[in-house]
Amino acid sequence: MITVRIPTPLRSLTGGEEQVQAPGETVKAVIDTIEQKHPGIRDRLLDDKGVRRFVNIYVGDEDIRFLDGLETKLKAGDEISIVPAIAGG
Amino acid sequence: MPDARRLPRVLVVGLGGLGCPAAAVLAPARNVELWLCDDDQVDLTNLHRQILYRDTDIGHDKLDAAKAALVAAGADPEQIVLIRSRLLPENARRLVADVDVVLEGADNFATKFLAADAAHLERRPIVHGAAVRFVATAWAVSAAGAPCYRCLFEDIPPGAQQGCAEAGVLGPVVGFCGALLADLTLRALAGDATAFDALYTYDGQADRLRQVKPAPRPDCPLCGVSPSILDIEESRYINPSCAA
Repeated sequence: MITVRIPTPLRSLTGGEEQVQAPGETVKAVIDTIEQKHPGIRDRLLDDKGVRRFVNIYVGDEDIRFLDGLETKLKAGDEISIVPAIAGG
Repeated sequence: MPDARRLPRVLVVGLGGLGCPAAAVLAPARNVELWLCDDDQVDLTNLHRQILYRDTDIGHDKLDAAKAALVAAGADPEQIVLIRSRLLPENARRLVADVDVVLEGADNFATKFLAADAAHLERRPIVHGAAVRFVATAWAVSAAGAPCYRCLFEDIPPGAQQGCAEAGVLGPVVGFCGALLADLTLRALAGDATAFDALYTYDGQADRLRQVKPAPRPDCPLCGVSPSILDIEESRYINPSCAA
């Protein structure tokens, strides 16, 4: 099972949950699985070209841009973090 | 490295929820000269999180109120320089070139990208901070400038940015983040390379501080292999600002 940490701006789509768990062998598979339970989250993360600009996805502390992108392989216990651009203070 | 003949200079961009606690931490130590950059006035909605201001400051320039509060807390008034302007395309490179570290707590993406670009072009370290609702991020970028803010976030997001007043910003969250920005600033001034290793995300609902390690992006327009951003061009920084 993979743990996905949900940033505050997306928690309205997960019923307020700060983390969700989902099976999947790749980042894309996990996002697809989460989408089934929390419709709309995929569109907030991805567009036709892949991961949206202004959004960064990490597996552990590694940016998936520098791994295999959405095809990055996962193993049980991995944690996915989503870091969107924010401005405010 | 800072000029050893004078105090290290820190340019604080934005005296809002992040700039206030950062300045409050830095100023009383009297080991840096603070250049405070803002053109806004204190508003009632600022008071819960912008800790340098009081009810009696409402309607007055933030810079004057901030300086008075910092001096009252022990800062040397000679070590506080007031820049009565926003960071703008026409002044960004000059201001950044005159200091040793930039501490950026701006409330809008345009200023964030402008500060990032100016710092990179002038080879100055920059500490970025942002906070919305329960979440804050802090990240120091080295003078070498890679990875940089554009490696991570590329460009100003399209569409209207939700203002702080609508989104909400919690006082404890910006207080925590502001202190972290000050810590990263002092470490950058001290030449501590580990200050640039991680992007910190603080979740104020879970009281959790997490780190990820940004990496340079080869096609980054600012610090990549073939950069296209070689100067500050005003058209690149058009974005509605958030209510301060």
